[in-house]
Amino acid sequence: MATCGWARAVRGLLLDVSGVLYDSGADGGVPIAGSAEAVRRIKASGLKLQLCTNETQATRENFVRKLRALGFDISVAEVTAPAPAACRLLKERGLRPHLLVHDDLVPEFAEVDKTNPNCVVLGDAAENFTYANLNEAFRLLIGMEKPVLISLGKGRYYKETDGLKLDVGAYMKALEYACDVQAEVVGKPAKKFLESALAELGVPAEQAIMIGDDIVSDVGGAQQCGMRALQVRTGKYRPSDENHPEVKPDAYVNNLAEAVDIILQHL
Amino acid sequence: MSARRALKAVLVDLNGTLHVEDSAVPGAQEALKRLRSAPVTVRFVTNTTKESKRDLLERLTGLGFDIAEHEIFTSLTAARNLLEQQQVRPLLLVDDKALPDFTGIGTDNPNAVVVGLAPEHFHYEMMNRAFRLILDGAPLIAIHKARYFKKKDGLCLGPGPFVTGLEYATDTKATVVGKPEKTFFLEALRGTDCAPEEAVMIGDDCRDDVGGAQQAGMRGILVRTGKYRPADEDKINPAPYLTCENFPEAVEHILKQML
Repeated sequence: MATCGWARAVRGLLLDVSGVLYDSGADGGVPIAGSAEAVRRIKASGLKLQLCTNETQATRENFVRKLRALGFDISVAEVTAPAPAACRLLKERGLRPHLLVHDDLVPEFAEVDKTNPNCVVLGDAAENFTYANLNEAFRLLIGMEKPVLISLGKGRYYKETDGLKLDVGAYMKALEYACDVQAEVVGKPAKKFLESALAELGVPAEQAIMIGDDIVSDVGGAQQCGMRALQVRTGKYRPSDENHPEVKPDAYVNNLAEAVDIILQHL
Repeated sequence: MSARRALKAVLVDLNGTLHVEDSAVPGAQEALKRLRSAPVTVRFVTNTTKESKRDLLERLTGLGFDIAEHEIFTSLTAARNLLEQQQVRPLLLVDDKALPDFTGIGTDNPNAVVVGLAPEHFHYEMMNRAFRLILDGAPLIAIHKARYFKKKDGLCLGPGPFVTGLEYATDTKATVVGKPEKTFFLEALRGTDCAPEEAVMIGDDCRDDVGGAQQAGMRGILVRTGKYRPADEDKINPAPYLTCENFPEAVEHILKQML
């Protein structure tokens, strides 16, 4: 443990969810071995805990229900997710969205005026990423004097139980290219989003560690906010991540359980 | 231009140059005949993601042009050649109408991805399939990267956005095979025993036809038919070798000045 300087002076943990706590899938997903126990140990230790996810395939309530069913002791307040943050942004700026999102996310936007849309909100729409739906979003954007595209995260891909899947970022890039616009990202690795998660965690950046499986969104995003960040070798992790040209985590751990072991030993 | 070598090959664009939609450019059939009387190889080159060589041939023959199938070189041909060179088996995201141009290419257990304009294939399942192959090392080959195209009921997404999405997700760059890529023009000359400096390209698209050909070392003649708009010739640097009213005038110039 002599080389675990990164584990000192920690008061709170920010955890990515998919690929760290569980591997998602059409069947509801499966927990990653040791992760439920690791969450319990974090809470028992007195460390603060906040989940920071780019999950946009479900409302936070349903997402938490799913996590609880998988054995995770988590409440809605402990989850920071893009959709509620996007709703705040839409209200602040008087934007009326056309939604290209997963059916199960739509209730998050119940309170938002969606008539005569003046922006497009893109989430991980999965099966809703049809040519017709993408074309509809494209035509709205290309018809706007100043197209506004808001993307809930910009992840490249993630892992489900039956394999890797394209994430919202690929479709965000497709629409950016088609309309020659730059999307505004609400979700990791956007600094504003990670800072809001940090505020909910309630500890300063230098006393927080982010743990995730995405080298860019989780590790890179957290480090830009002044946090330490670990990459787990679960979820979408690929060995080539360890040669990433721009992002280097403060450490690699095999899984969340190992990270928690080391952190608790340094308390 | 005095150091130029003798002209050995003429590349001719199709839509906008020999014909516009379903009408031949006036005098173009006759001009092509005159061109064939000269000691030059003629090739017909076009960007298409949908029409097979046979479809193109049928249309041109119907318009009265004397053309053989082997003289046609399209972005689909370029993709096919690349697949053969790399000895890979493609997942073909192309329109069904384009499939005849890939006859004989094995597609079992694919280890390459070819993207054309194929709205029926651009859905979640197929995009995920293509993505996984590319992530596992399959080359991504794009027929072209157009952002969108126009249909009667409005603008529609082209292949470019989907190629770009796959490039981003896999952190790779697609090999684009159509005009204005240099390799497209070089491939079109393959088998003609002719160097780029010995070839001239005639087309109505200043950037894709003339600019692309000149980047590849050929000379380029811009014609003021098809999609040509006034001042198009100012869009590229170096400027087109020549700008002509139409294909027959370009042929006259070649026969009188370039042989």
